[in-house]
Amino acid sequence: MVGLRIFVYAVIALMLLPVLITFPVALTATSRISFPPAGLSLRWFASILTDQVLLQSIARSFWLALTVAVLSIAIALPCAFAAQRGRVRYRNVLETLITSPRMIPQIVLVLALLVYFEPIGLAQKFAGLVIAHLVVTIPFAFRTLLVSVATLDRRLEASSNVLGATPLQTFRLIVLPQLKTGMIASFIFTFILSFNNVTLALFLSGIGQRTLPVEMFTRMNVAGMTPVIPAISFVLSVLGVMLFVVLDRTIGVYRFLAARE
Amino acid sequence: MPRLAPQAISLALLVPILLLLIFFFLFPLAYLLHLSALAQQPTLQNPLPELSFVNYAKILQDSFYLSMSLNSVLVGLSTTFLTVAIAYPVAFYITRISGWERTLISVACLLPIFVNVIVSILGWYILLLPFGVVQQALAGLGIVSGPLQLLRTFPALVAVLVYEHLPFAVLILVSSLQAIPADKINAARVLGAGVPRIVFSLIIPLTMPGLVACVILVFSLSASSYLAPILIGGQRTPVLPLAIFSYGTELQNWPLAAALSFVLLVLVVTISYGFASAMNRIAKRGQWEFV
Repeated sequence: MVGLRIFVYAVIALMLLPVLITFPVALTATSRISFPPAGLSLRWFASILTDQVLLQSIARSFWLALTVAVLSIAIALPCAFAAQRGRVRYRNVLETLITSPRMIPQIVLVLALLVYFEPIGLAQKFAGLVIAHLVVTIPFAFRTLLVSVATLDRRLEASSNVLGATPLQTFRLIVLPQLKTGMIASFIFTFILSFNNVTLALFLSGIGQRTLPVEMFTRMNVAGMTPVIPAISFVLSVLGVMLFVVLDRTIGVYRFLAARE
Repeated sequence: MPRLAPQAISLALLVPILLLLIFFFLFPLAYLLHLSALAQQPTLQNPLPELSFVNYAKILQDSFYLSMSLNSVLVGLSTTFLTVAIAYPVAFYITRISGWERTLISVACLLPIFVNVIVSILGWYILLLPFGVVQQALAGLGIVSGPLQLLRTFPALVAVLVYEHLPFAVLILVSSLQAIPADKINAARVLGAGVPRIVFSLIIPLTMPGLVACVILVFSLSASSYLAPILIGGQRTPVLPLAIFSYGTELQNWPLAAALSFVLLVLVVTISYGFASAMNRIAKRGQWEFV
């Protein structure tokens, strides 16, 4: 057990190192990426706020992720109800179809969408990007919501009906509150998936319409990279870790992520 | 909500998702398959070029594409092996702890899911730069002297891919290890089995379905990943996704990109399901009990 503990903590150090290293590198006073940093300053963190292209890409990623998260729930929740409660024939076929976009490599899926969108004018449009993200995020939203719907207490709905509530009232006052946790979980998860996705936006976002991850990718890959990229990386990591800890201490990360498998 | 939704209501609830998946998942894939069998790119003058297998023939005859496919498979297999070998002990440890230690270890192991993959690739890039952190550390320990080529190598690419996919493996293995009934382990212990015996003839066979799922997932994700190969591996380790991207976007040769996509898809699916059915056959022979 001691040997195992040493091994696990070594793995953890290696998992944290690449993310933590962005902080000292971003503190440099020069415009070169180097470790240890040459001089100390916060200028690169400040320059996030003055880099218009970066700010626009952050806003675009935020709205994209928000739209995708809301639409994923709106589409996947009715579907989870139908799959769980309705007498749907071919339920297995349905579940396989809904979860199958996860089985296709994303680079293949996005190429298919690119060649399909180009003639109908959806390529390099925000709507096209939303659709592509939905195809990828809905399987995850569906899985999480299916578990929530399955664990609903049916007796509460029966009581509500007996006491004279209309179906709509029952849904709003009895069912929705019970689904709240599952909906928050799937909202956060699809938001993260969409905000962090690179491959889809790399093919489908037009020039000057880049999302944040694509902007970061392009600066790393093509143009010279200034330490503003490590700076924004560190900010993103801190936000990601905070979200994770909140999720784990409230819902339980394994409970809500494990619903996927 | 009606207690039992009649079939019509169920169907109505399913309409949006079915429309989305039919029009934006099945149709595009079918169109891609069609495109891969076209002799040339459809244009306005020539919207329907003749059908042929010229793209596939080109891929199968060109040693460059063959070595790319081989690279993809090798990258996938090495990543999968290392990921599972690291994730299994970690997942085992996670199931034995609780409270803040569990949160800390989970944060670290699942970090790549919550933090953008570009961020972690950037971190590795900084670590592996010539005269970067890893080289300085190795030089400080007196292991190496002089410049060291770390970026653009096969081991560096595999290391980053292992990093990226460890969370998925840990997640699957944690839930599969948690499902082992404590009674079985206690029974084995009471009957006098030592730790190695418990691990190899009880815990590993009982988590076999999880292990198989894990291998399939990590292999299919890593063999088809694009970002780490372009940013860390570079052209020294060319893999299929690199060619798919450059023919799909920069060079605009869609039929060839489509054919390469299906080669990748067939490779990934064949190896994954080949592995799964091989494991099933072993299980049926009675060496392992799938519970």
